[in-house]
Amino acid sequence: MISTPSRNLRPGRLQPPALDALGQRSLNRRSLFKAAGAVGAAALIPLTACSSPASATGVTTIRFMQNKPEVIGYFNQVIKDFEALNPDIHVVQDSNEGNFVPSLVRNDPPDVMTRGYAQATADFTRKGIFADLSGLPAASTIDPKVQGLVNSWGQYNGNETSALPFSLAAAGVIYNRDLFAAHGVQVPTTWNEFVAACNTFKAAGIAPIYGTYKDHWTIQQGAFDYVAGGTLDVQGFFTAINAKGADISSASRESFTSNFGAVLPKILEVAGFAQPGAASKNYADGNAAFGKGQAAMYLQGPWALSELVKANKDIRLGMFPLPVSNNPEDAKVRVNVDMALLIARNTPRMEAAQRFVSYLLQPAVVNAFNEKNAAFSTLKDAAVTSNPQITGLAPFVKEGRYYQGAGTYFPPAVPVGNYLQAFVYGKDGNKFLADLDAEWRRVAERTAI
Amino acid sequence: MTTTSRVALQNADLPAKISTSPQTPGAPRRSAGKIDPTYYWMIVPVLALFAFFITLPALVGFFFSLTNYAGYGDWKFVGIANYVNIFKDPAVLQSYVFTFLFALTTTVVVNVVALAIALGLNARIKWRTGIRTVFFIPMVLSGLIVSFVFNYLFSNTLPVLAERFGITPLTSSILANENWAWLAIVLVTVWQAAPGATIIYLAGLQSVPSEVYEAAGMDGAGTWRQFRSLTLPLIMGYLVINVILGFKGFLGTYEIIVGLTGGGPGMVTQSVAMRIFSGFTGGDYAYQMANAVIYFVITLLISVIQLRLIQRRGVSL
Repeated sequence: MISTPSRNLRPGRLQPPALDALGQRSLNRRSLFKAAGAVGAAALIPLTACSSPASATGVTTIRFMQNKPEVIGYFNQVIKDFEALNPDIHVVQDSNEGNFVPSLVRNDPPDVMTRGYAQATADFTRKGIFADLSGLPAASTIDPKVQGLVNSWGQYNGNETSALPFSLAAAGVIYNRDLFAAHGVQVPTTWNEFVAACNTFKAAGIAPIYGTYKDHWTIQQGAFDYVAGGTLDVQGFFTAINAKGADISSASRESFTSNFGAVLPKILEVAGFAQPGAASKNYADGNAAFGKGQAAMYLQGPWALSELVKANKDIRLGMFPLPVSNNPEDAKVRVNVDMALLIARNTPRMEAAQRFVSYLLQPAVVNAFNEKNAAFSTLKDAAVTSNPQITGLAPFVKEGRYYQGAGTYFPPAVPVGNYLQAFVYGKDGNKFLADLDAEWRRVAERTAI
Repeated sequence: MTTTSRVALQNADLPAKISTSPQTPGAPRRSAGKIDPTYYWMIVPVLALFAFFITLPALVGFFFSLTNYAGYGDWKFVGIANYVNIFKDPAVLQSYVFTFLFALTTTVVVNVVALAIALGLNARIKWRTGIRTVFFIPMVLSGLIVSFVFNYLFSNTLPVLAERFGITPLTSSILANENWAWLAIVLVTVWQAAPGATIIYLAGLQSVPSEVYEAAGMDGAGTWRQFRSLTLPLIMGYLVINVILGFKGFLGTYEIIVGLTGGGPGMVTQSVAMRIFSGFTGGDYAYQMANAVIYFVITLLISVIQLRLIQRRGVSL
């Protein structure tokens, strides 16, 4: 319907005559202008044609950019249901997240978006890209603890709610229930129990942990985030170091050197329990190998679960937070707002966009999505998950005993994953921390406005 | 003038064309007095496209290198702060060192390998056409695909083989080794780039008349002597072109590294192009633009020096 009027007028149809004109030997200026004008007009018409049929029939078309390619089918169904209830709105799904920044440059962002909410998206929020959603009735149904995770990155104008969390992913140690049962190992609740469990598997000739260090992001979101999150007040640390700005040096109280010293030995200890040759393996190798039962534990998030089941449909998996201290009360789980709903601030289709967001935040939609995707609902009174793969994390999420990964606080200009990889291979902790401090200072220096 | 130098003079036309030396005017247009407008119709549209798609964006990029623009949102002028910071950034400097060492090594290896292959393929061997085809296949494959295949070989096949035959140093992937990962990148780049250089060398070798070798043979020159004193000087123009084009190309190396190591382990194999590109996703647009401008100036200088060298070659040959 929308593309029909433009089809006859595509520039492609006009190209042959234009090419003919250029091919002629004595081409005069006028014919060139004519050709150029025709091509230009043809390029303009489809742009205007996009909106005209919509207003004629009273249907508003909104663009919905969605950040997870694996759930396109799911959202197609959601959109179909929504359009059946709202015949005056047509939703176009777009899963090309790479197009987001260019769309900002063109000043034509999608009307509704889902994005993972961390440093990068918060940066857009601070620049005022997103609309305030605090007035939506759905905003009051969100669990305030989860909303707090989003707000902790800073709010536009100090009080706006730019994003409503849709899906909360909790990551921990994925374990093979059958291997644990076969070797009589209980889920560890303290660091010592965890080390003992690793040694039990090692003694039995089973790799305690499957490491995939070739993909450095797996070190970052695994050992680094888990140990740092269980040891430090991650958010407090980054608030302090951000406040310090470019004045940071290794000697400062706020520096990495002053705070992460206790974290590093445990990261190396965890990394040391990986199978030999972990440096040659990537995330895909890890999913295939762990799925086949080649290791007892795997430091990954819920996104890996479906891949593991794909590798072995009979595998029985569970998850627990990595205990970093010897007090079981200290255990916390790493979470991230995997999908947050946002509306472009300057969209001319605000009413339609708000209706769509409100629909997505209906309990039936949110809870069904998260149940299906091994994630946690962001609503206040969501039912406890029944998925045995993640039930081990549910009490922690329920009680708010969680943190956002330290790795997610780094500005993208600091390649923390690369530094971590060098640290895990070279085991030089002092250099690692000094490098981070220096890189952090350089980036703060040049990005300070 | 000896036979050698006279033949060399005939063969020097390839570099001479590049250097547009004044002795070889583009004959018809000047002698006619009136310039055929067709030439303008050939040049002007391309010039306009070039200006619009290359020159203009480059100027815009230069402009933003003087700001703290993140690629979107607000920005302000910061003068040459970005340029100053580049020189204080060890990560960027390391990428320069890596890129130049990589380009130098690869250029040497590619040319040695390509020349050897070309000599072999130029000889009267069995199934010459078939073998030539086999050697040119790497050229039509995309660098990214090649590197993904080699990535698999280095990470999985090679360690398994090494383990079976008890070669301990090779049991873990070379790509995960901070000291030797660059070697894998050189190897794959050579594998992909050698055929292109080989074609140019083959063309050069085929332009050498066989009488030269017959004469040399009669004078009692051995194979090595013939290669050193005849073949090499006669194809010198081709060698220069291979070295220059190759070096320039390897300075911009990107996709093979992305496919093999992604710049790791750590950051030891990050090329300058990778650093620059990281600015687009990293909110570091202006800073990496400054890096790009510096890199452009450096490559420009190298190109000018190389062009001078060619011109001197073109004259002296």
